[in-house]
Amino acid sequence: MTSFAYYPGCTLYTKSKNLDLCARETAQILGVELKELETWNCCGAIFSTVTDDIANQVAPIRNLIEAQKISNKLVTLCAACYNVLKRSNLYLAKAGNETYRKRLMNFLDTEYNGKTEVVHYLETLKYDIGFDNVKAKVVKSLNGLKVASYYGCLMVRPSEELKFDDPDNPVMMDDLFAALGATPVDFPFKGECCGGYILVDKPEVATKCAQTVIENMAASGAECVATTCPLCQYNIDNQQKMMSKQYNLPIFYFTQLLGLALGIDEKILNLNNHFIDPKPLLKQKGLLQ
Amino acid sequence: MIIDETIKKDIEELSGQKLSDCYQCGECTAGCPTAFAMEPVPSQSIRLLQLGKYSELLESAGIWLCAACNVCGERCPRGVDYGKIADACRTIVLRNKVTHITLEKVDKKFILDAPQQAFIAAFRKFTT
Repeated sequence: MTSFAYYPGCTLYTKSKNLDLCARETAQILGVELKELETWNCCGAIFSTVTDDIANQVAPIRNLIEAQKISNKLVTLCAACYNVLKRSNLYLAKAGNETYRKRLMNFLDTEYNGKTEVVHYLETLKYDIGFDNVKAKVVKSLNGLKVASYYGCLMVRPSEELKFDDPDNPVMMDDLFAALGATPVDFPFKGECCGGYILVDKPEVATKCAQTVIENMAASGAECVATTCPLCQYNIDNQQKMMSKQYNLPIFYFTQLLGLALGIDEKILNLNNHFIDPKPLLKQKGLLQ
Repeated sequence: MIIDETIKKDIEELSGQKLSDCYQCGECTAGCPTAFAMEPVPSQSIRLLQLGKYSELLESAGIWLCAACNVCGERCPRGVDYGKIADACRTIVLRNKVTHITLEKVDKKFILDAPQQAFIAAFRKFTT
């Protein structure tokens, strides 16, 4: 079985256990072991773009050094962790940043030059496992479930650094859901911001951003949504109650829908950890007893 | 907080952006998800800096509404990243020991409900 270093991050250990546990379980079924780093710390949740900000780069780089004990590839799940770890790594390795790198190394025990490759679990599924092989393991086809794949900001931008997918029309998650038997729903705001951390300071602004996204998903015929980010999940699920119109759209983590199709235990799917209850929709589609 | 001509150099150095590169097309503002509530909006913010009205921007509410979503920088035809300029402006204010939010100001229901990620990001961007 292939093993990759795996970084869960702070939110996946608490509020978003379903994102984490469904990924570990599905990887196992697909013949890949996600080997959690022996020790890790929070990545910082947001990339600091300030050019002299050494202090905020120490945390992500420590995780990248730790990953070297397991593999050159580090798998992430949370969109924010993916964004922060990948960009911190690129900034450190960038030509012309030697002075910055030397200063940063003063705060770290191990010399490091950027050789850990940060990837997202979606990329592992596509490039290491292959969507055809994922399809071959489906025990419960998603039966035409109309899923809007919501990528948000952190998966796709800045595209020059992340090189994940087309920043204006990403399709990687859509292709995965098509392989699982679902019907991907196209909509114009796949990479639009949900309001992010603005929620903490100006919740009414964040909720309006989230409503713009939800409104477009609903208008495009989506029955449910899949996301990779705990903050997107919160802003478009829990905050639906604060919106001026009620959409009643269930918001899954992409690993939950993958887990459902691969037949993992309902306890691991943890379908109770949602504000908009997804169970009636899944029952209606014959995907849940 | 002392705001003078040297602040332009600070903003350009901390952001890695050249303010005179912006030709005011407004693409950043058109794509900005929080522009509806932002005052001044991204393109106006850069214009204020171009005109030397540094304190007008640094004391504005606009710089605190950037969600760091990167749409402005991604789409700018001149390669200017307003998100980085806003980050630099916030950093200058915060390094002058003027905090933007305190835990007491945060709605208690979010403290129990919302993911940690939201607080870590917000307190990194909004506190000294």
